[in-house]
Amino acid sequence: MPKTITEQNLRLLIDSLIKEGTRVIGPRRTGTITLYEPLARGEELDLNELPRRSAKEVFFPVCENILSFQRGEEGVKVTDIDPCAFPETVLIGARPCDAAAAPVLDSVFSWDYKDEFFLQRRRKTTVIGLACTTADDACFCSAVGLSPADSKGADLFLTPVREGGYLCEALTDKGKTLITSHARLFAETSAAAPLSLNEPAGVKLDLHKIKGWLDENFESPIWKEIADRCAGCGSCAFLCPACHCFDIVDEGTEAEGHRRKFWDACGFGKFTDHASGHNPRDAQPKRYRNRIMHKFKYYDDKFGQTLCTGCGRCIRWCPVGIDIKAVLEEIQKG
Amino acid sequence: MTDMTTIPAMATITEVHPLSGDTSFFRLGLKEGEAQGFTFTPGQFVQLSVPAAGEFPISLAGSPGHGRELELCVRKAGHVTAVLHNLRPGDPVAVRGPFGTGFPVERMRGNDVILLAGGLGIAPLRSLFHYFLEHREEYGAITLMYGAREPSAILFRDELAELACRRDIRLMLTVDFLTEEPAGGPVCRVGLLPGLLMGIKLRLDQTYAAVCGPPALYRCLITELLGLDFPENRIFLSLERRMKCGIGLCCHCAVGDFFCCTDGPVFSYDRIKEIPGVI
Repeated sequence: MPKTITEQNLRLLIDSLIKEGTRVIGPRRTGTITLYEPLARGEELDLNELPRRSAKEVFFPVCENILSFQRGEEGVKVTDIDPCAFPETVLIGARPCDAAAAPVLDSVFSWDYKDEFFLQRRRKTTVIGLACTTADDACFCSAVGLSPADSKGADLFLTPVREGGYLCEALTDKGKTLITSHARLFAETSAAAPLSLNEPAGVKLDLHKIKGWLDENFESPIWKEIADRCAGCGSCAFLCPACHCFDIVDEGTEAEGHRRKFWDACGFGKFTDHASGHNPRDAQPKRYRNRIMHKFKYYDDKFGQTLCTGCGRCIRWCPVGIDIKAVLEEIQKG
Repeated sequence: MTDMTTIPAMATITEVHPLSGDTSFFRLGLKEGEAQGFTFTPGQFVQLSVPAAGEFPISLAGSPGHGRELELCVRKAGHVTAVLHNLRPGDPVAVRGPFGTGFPVERMRGNDVILLAGGLGIAPLRSLFHYFLEHREEYGAITLMYGAREPSAILFRDELAELACRRDIRLMLTVDFLTEEPAGGPVCRVGLLPGLLMGIKLRLDQTYAAVCGPPALYRCLITELLGLDFPENRIFLSLERRMKCGIGLCCHCAVGDFFCCTDGPVFSYDRIKEIPGVI
């Protein structure tokens, strides 16, 4: 029998998890901006709109210490950070475009070196996905093979129902455990009517055809046409649920300091710049081309996946109005 | 023991001496107990941490057979290398690595080898060259062709002068410009490095080429080698990219769907020739 949970019980679930010592992260509205943030109480949960930034930072923080060093009498001592100490976390209210990005990123963070900073957070996080009822003009999840009802990447998936509350589908053991350990908050139902989810408008993209074009068109006038106005600000990469470039920087003095990992963006002019002066991507069109190639060709070549979930954030917030969906539609035309 | 993949092992600088105006030789000793059994393949690189400055990727320039002792050849080019150049013997640094795929020394065994180095590209090829010398009887004819901008920019001059006396190897040096009369040192020609290949007799089916230098050099050297009918899968080159993590995650060194830090930096030419913009 399918399970349901009421709006009120969903908030009680959050309170209960917090009480048990679990970190709960979900959409929270501060002023006019909704972000995925740690919740202090269930009532802080605000599922009305797609959060401004993606949920990627739950697994891959904007910035984190990866080791620290102190210089003492016996030389320099390096202290490791133990990823096993990361807290048990529930990510609640992740939209399909955000939940689906995590399994895509698993590929790169485990293809050769197993990055425990990412993988431990993945293991320790239960994702409660949410079917999306708020597609806007920039959304294009259904154009890249997902949909507002896609539960990929979720352990438990909520679909809003007409009577209020949510239909709950447990997709993994983590999701099942969450339900059984809070069974009193869930009800069984035989007749819950899911709210209709509005599919994002726009052309369905043929990712295979797009990749075929990218295979042949490393050199094309299109890159200059699009990217001449790109300011190289990196907003697209920082808002993207799937971009995963990072930089490593040492901060501190000779006496002590930290090594930190920061998000980076291949759109930045210095991204591939060598101290020698050699820069393989020395102009913005080359950098924009890399962004598209990485998402729709290289990642596919290497891992058989597309590094884009169609969340549309890069379209919504690009300061010069570059629209990746329009670029892909143009490419699709050949 | 330190897992030198993400956590650097401590090392001490044991020797520093200048090789040219902006490039110096550094010998490091990895701290005992931290880097037991450290070894590498010529062509691999390490990430060198300089306290309070940061990390930079650098080729290992010495023979892999020296255990905890590492040799590096570092040009003062950016912030971190500039700080390193101010350090002296006894100062601490730290090392992650070795990273990447080096030259296929096993596959090259029993064959002739020709090493083509341009400028600072001599660093990883010096490692390979020393490896061959230490296993001299396992390889056929060994040729090192090395080109520098001008005589004062030739690195490892004293070492090369000594090697020039050996009869079991062939050493050919050239400089782009002869701006001054070289004061001693090995004999060298004037002209670009690819010019040294002209008139050279190679046993094409029994020779491997190892190339390292600036990107512009690759374009003309590859053309020259292919013009000699050199097989594409016997040309190995080391790509210069800005490696940061060293473990195939951060994307700074991505070339097509390869990561230079893990798939490379040494690639056979046939593996990368289809990737646009690669050299």
